[in-house]
Amino acid sequence: MKTKKINSKTFSKTHYQYIKKLKRDKFLIIFFRIFVLVAFLGLWELLTYLGVLDAFFVSSPSRIVKQIIALAQDGTLLHHSWVTLYETLIGFLIATVLGYLIAVLLWWNEKVRKVFEPYIVVLNSLPKIALGPVIILWVGSGTKAIVLMCILICIVITTMSMLSAFLSVEEGKVLLLKSMNANKFQILFKLVLPHSMPEFISVLKINVGMSWVGSIMGEYLTSKAGLGYLIVYGGQIFKIDLVMASTAILCVLAFGMYYLVSLLEKKYRK
Amino acid sequence: MNNILSFKNVNYFYQTKNDEIFALNDVNFDIEKESFTSLVGPSGCGKTTILSLTAGLLKPSSGEILLDGEKKIDTKKIGYMFQRDHLFEWRTVWKNITLGLEIQRPKDKEEKLKKSEELLKKYDLYAFKDKKPRNLSGGMRQRVALIRTLALEPQLLLLDEPFSALDYQTRLSVCDDVYSIIKSEKKTALLVTHDISEAISMSDKIIVLSARPATVKDQIMPNLEEETPLKRRENRRFSALFDCLWRELTNENQKNQ
Repeated sequence: MKTKKINSKTFSKTHYQYIKKLKRDKFLIIFFRIFVLVAFLGLWELLTYLGVLDAFFVSSPSRIVKQIIALAQDGTLLHHSWVTLYETLIGFLIATVLGYLIAVLLWWNEKVRKVFEPYIVVLNSLPKIALGPVIILWVGSGTKAIVLMCILICIVITTMSMLSAFLSVEEGKVLLLKSMNANKFQILFKLVLPHSMPEFISVLKINVGMSWVGSIMGEYLTSKAGLGYLIVYGGQIFKIDLVMASTAILCVLAFGMYYLVSLLEKKYRK
Repeated sequence: MNNILSFKNVNYFYQTKNDEIFALNDVNFDIEKESFTSLVGPSGCGKTTILSLTAGLLKPSSGEILLDGEKKIDTKKIGYMFQRDHLFEWRTVWKNITLGLEIQRPKDKEEKLKKSEELLKKYDLYAFKDKKPRNLSGGMRQRVALIRTLALEPQLLLLDEPFSALDYQTRLSVCDDVYSIIKSEKKTALLVTHDISEAISMSDKIIVLSARPATVKDQIMPNLEEETPLKRRENRRFSALFDCLWRELTNENQKNQ
């Protein structure tokens, strides 16, 4: 197929129509995306306003907004958000770096890998939340326990995904480097790590989600502050507005983190 | 001495879980400097094993391999080109070509970089220097792979069916290109191939291997006087040579079954 140089003045009519269709499709998709959100919120608000749904149990968009404003005014919004964000980021970073390094180690030494393989499989299928009480006993309640929970949830999947990406390098490419007299370090840095970059980015994306799960789980177990704490607290005193407001903030923060990773991906793809 | 590579009574066994496989049986041959030699034989007979032994990736079970008169194989003297181009997709064409130099860090790196740049210009790839491999056609990719191999200035090139992944049309023209590049750079080449016409059209010498355990069954010198592989295919003696090789290989294949 010939690739024409793009020059707006030399578009043929059919090509112009094609571009126009692409643009229209894109517009429609964005329009309906926004429409779904607005319709959902609008219906929610309307049904609670009309009394079809009880706002005491399901809250409503306007009540959530009021609640967020109230939280913002007395300064607790920033405080609780920051606590959770901090725990999540620390957990995310430690789990990603450590999980990656363990994967490199397991790639490096086949015997070590084979010894630890069954343990990793078991650890992966174990619901990490089961370790909650033990974590609190060992490191005490509070931030440390929450970060540890976050790490436990992310690290195994990081190691497993990265290791399988490392091992998926074509044998022929390794042979090529060996025929150039490369040592194992060079095979690692010139081939294995760059080859597994796409997998690394998808691990980052997974970990963004998982680390939020970890920190909120941790806060359910033991906390004095944070969005998870607010959610539990709100549930206990039947303040659904507080639960929903915290969840909404959580959505925004998690999306922001995901967005940063996708920026990184775009930069890498260039 | 004029031989760059000699196999002397080389035997090779390789180990699998269930078996010890006798791959090479008393293999003897010599390769002259600046010559083009092909290895043909029934599939699975151990052609690639011979290349791996030459490259020092495997050690012979017994016998001797002399590279440039020395027993210890200096891998820097060898360039290995594989069936697939194995270009790294995350590197540009230029970065792919200089990969070997990055790894070996030779003292005359600057010189070799300059030489690689010349090769790129000479073989019409300079415009694609900063492109990623995915923007190249199959034939171009294989040429880049060859230049990557040549960048280290090896004395002996090992070519393991480097054209088999290409379509027929491209294959013939890349074959011509590679041949002329190797000849004009005054390199020695050892080619493994399944394709009888390819072997006849490119080689100064064809080594015919038997079925496993492989031993050298015959050595044929085509002596075709035309300049390029493509023109050689039109030589009067081409089809006679083809028949002769065809019969030898068919015999071996039947023994295999």
